[in-house]
Amino acid sequence: MTTAIKTTTLMPAAAPARPRRETIALALLLAALLAVPVLLDNAFVYHVFVTICVFAALSTAWNIVGGFTGQLSLGHGIFYGIGAYAGVILASLGITPWLGMFVGAGVAVVVAVAISYPCFRLRGPFFSLATIAFLEVFRVLALHFRDLTGGATGLMIPLKIGVEWMVFREKLPPLAIAFGMLLCTLLVAWAVRWRRLGYYLVATRERASAAQAAGVDTVRVRLIAVALSGALTAMVGTFHAMYLTFIEPAAMFSLTLSIQIAMFALIGGIGTVFGPLLGAVLLVPVTELARGWLGAKALGLHGLVYGLVLMLVVLFMPNGLMGLVSRFVRPKAGRGVQAAAVPAAPAAAARPPIGDEIMRVEGLQKHFGGLHVTNDVGFTLREGEILGLIGPNGAGKTTVFNMVSGFLKPDSGTVSVRGPDGTWRQPVSPADFAGLGVGRTFQIVQPFAAMTVEENIMVGAFHRHADPREAREVARETGIRMGLGPWLDAEARGLTIGGFKRLEVARVMAMRPRVLLLDEVMAGINQTDVRRAIDLMLSIRDSGVSIIAIEHVMQAVMSLSDRVIVLNSGRIIAQGRPQDVVRDPTVIEAYLGKEFAHAHA
Amino acid sequence: MDILLQVLANGLMLGGLFAIVSVGLTLIFGIVKVVNFAHGEFLMIGMYGTYLVTKALGLHPFVAVIVVVPVLFILGALTQRLLIQPLMASGDDHIQIFATVGLSTALINLALLVFGADIANTPPNGLRMPIEIGPVRVLLGQVVILAAAVVLVVGLHLFLSRTQTGRAIRAVAQNRAAAELMGINVRQIYALTFGIGAACVGVASVLIAPLYPTSPNSGTYFVLTAFVVVVLGGLGSIGGAFAGALLIGLIDSVAGFYIGSDMREVAVFGVFLLILILRPSGLFGARLQLAHVSP
Repeated sequence: MTTAIKTTTLMPAAAPARPRRETIALALLLAALLAVPVLLDNAFVYHVFVTICVFAALSTAWNIVGGFTGQLSLGHGIFYGIGAYAGVILASLGITPWLGMFVGAGVAVVVAVAISYPCFRLRGPFFSLATIAFLEVFRVLALHFRDLTGGATGLMIPLKIGVEWMVFREKLPPLAIAFGMLLCTLLVAWAVRWRRLGYYLVATRERASAAQAAGVDTVRVRLIAVALSGALTAMVGTFHAMYLTFIEPAAMFSLTLSIQIAMFALIGGIGTVFGPLLGAVLLVPVTELARGWLGAKALGLHGLVYGLVLMLVVLFMPNGLMGLVSRFVRPKAGRGVQAAAVPAAPAAAARPPIGDEIMRVEGLQKHFGGLHVTNDVGFTLREGEILGLIGPNGAGKTTVFNMVSGFLKPDSGTVSVRGPDGTWRQPVSPADFAGLGVGRTFQIVQPFAAMTVEENIMVGAFHRHADPREAREVARETGIRMGLGPWLDAEARGLTIGGFKRLEVARVMAMRPRVLLLDEVMAGINQTDVRRAIDLMLSIRDSGVSIIAIEHVMQAVMSLSDRVIVLNSGRIIAQGRPQDVVRDPTVIEAYLGKEFAHAHA
Repeated sequence: MDILLQVLANGLMLGGLFAIVSVGLTLIFGIVKVVNFAHGEFLMIGMYGTYLVTKALGLHPFVAVIVVVPVLFILGALTQRLLIQPLMASGDDHIQIFATVGLSTALINLALLVFGADIANTPPNGLRMPIEIGPVRVLLGQVVILAAAVVLVVGLHLFLSRTQTGRAIRAVAQNRAAAELMGINVRQIYALTFGIGAACVGVASVLIAPLYPTSPNSGTYFVLTAFVVVVLGGLGSIGGAFAGALLIGLIDSVAGFYIGSDMREVAVFGVFLLILILRPSGLFGARLQLAHVSP
């Protein structure tokens, strides 16, 4: 285990090490955005490059929501328009757009949070539809309140030239500002992606419930993302309005523009930091050249190209240009480590004595429609104890688990957890439970498919370590301990079922839980793995963690549990030492039926 | 009083219009589970088709139905086969959204390239003639649309509930895997459904073209409201969509008269957002039909 720590300290970068060639290519691309117009010194070229920078920045900002969190907004024109109107209206009142853009950003943050909070309940196309509807509402409102916005006639910016008004005679300064904004946006996006927030966002996108179990407040992180994204979009909007010198509702709160922003990100590589930049660099010149060369004759031509490119991209390279790049540049996954069986932690010398109560469950009731799935279930769990939860299929075991981890609200009854400071609390949400140190796995494994195994575990590790480097170290250590060492850098989707189960446990172990809820972690894995898993659970127990385990593998239940609770049809029918419980006639009857029980009575 | 009646009558007529545009969208959403963002562009193509046929042959616009409906059926079936079907396995929402958004963008701009931004007016051939029913006046064409919407909704309902193909379509909608195991060719059903959905909007386009100007953006204008109707009606419920359409038509008309014609959309989308957020399964949808809402 010490060697593992050493290797990680050799590569301390927060972001996964990026091949040198890619970094150089990126630097060259950015430099070219400034250098090409300066060298060619042509007004049209300057215009094209300013537009590239603006759209790349907008698209990068969009990607924080649309890519990282997977909430496909088609209404980002709202924030762009807010920034534009805030800048121009304030400028006409004599306030510099340098200040105006922050006012716009502030308004955008408020609007973004107010809109998104209810809409985050919606998935997929319905979220997109809601954003389109909001965009329409904003456009109509901008048309309606003409005193403020000038209505359909639009607004001209006050013609005051100078740095303080963001209006210039020279060609270079607007490009410099646009480029600066692009750099800032890229930096923000990069920082978000490779910090805890970014991992949380991607985890939420991949599996919201698993992210919650790992202690992620999924609503909060997504609200932070939209706030950031909205603010950045609004600031770029202010600049663009000053650059265009004229704004009107149809052009600012525009669906076409909103789709374009999203499209550049998709074509470049949705969810990647630099993909949107690539998409804009490639496609903006097409529009501008079509407009510049063909003029009115080509009305619709660039749109047609956009539409066709979009369809071809989703059909043939859904991961965008970045996906294409990484396929050729990246080395093959897996680091060639021998898949040798990694021994579970060495057996601890002595088992610490069972301590005080740590979780108290009283009178849980739950109905699903007319079905009484949990009927007056109550039990306690003590520190360092393993409690087995068994019962035939449909007995309501997982429902109980969902209630003692905050995923399901009981109709009545309470779940109390003793906090690290000794006080008893009654957590409500999954995040509350995680905060008190209650970690869980899912019976149907819930990996974050698009992340590597290591990153999956990191999401758990972030619970106690905000710093990505520390989290990565903890994740590697935990992963190796769980026998996932050889696959740490592979994508999680490629694991076998046994691997997924171990990943579930590794992710929750990386949270350093005080109470561990294991839902059938041994189902469907082979005998060797079962034995290894038993050893692992014992060593976890010996480190002072309390465990409740739902399990069908009787070998494990018998050898692990200090106590066993038997559920049938939603109620507890027996509890006690494992040896006693399996001989209990009511238990035998529940599993095998009355006749069998009578035959043996 | 007469004014209120007139406003309500206008709302009802508008509702009929929304209903006939939404029927196909609802069908496609309910069965294929895809939100077709290009639905409005299908409508726009149908309207141009009607315009061309009427102009070229000098016939009554309704005759165009013979051409427009089959063309749109094929267009819909091809869209499903070539664009949607290959993406169904991916299960990624954003991919499917982008696919139909891309199709929509391409079709709008293709129309712009071919027909220009000018408005095309299909000759109304008497359909704009006002008729008086008691104290209210409505256009003949509007009454035809409302009647056609009723016929289409009832017809689709009978088709889905009484015919073997209809039952197969419903089976696929309810459980794709089970339907496949029963020997139903799911791909074929999807293409057929998409085709029928597009054909429905073809019927709508023939009826709408004589009353409304046709432009590349005509589709966007109608379809945003159609989305509202589909969500309101309970996502895939054709009867619900019909009721939702009438309701939205009334809201639109009443808000337009009493609040201001430029604020109609705010009222309609306001209602839409409220429903979407408070009752995402729609006004008439079953409570359990929450496939689009995260738990």
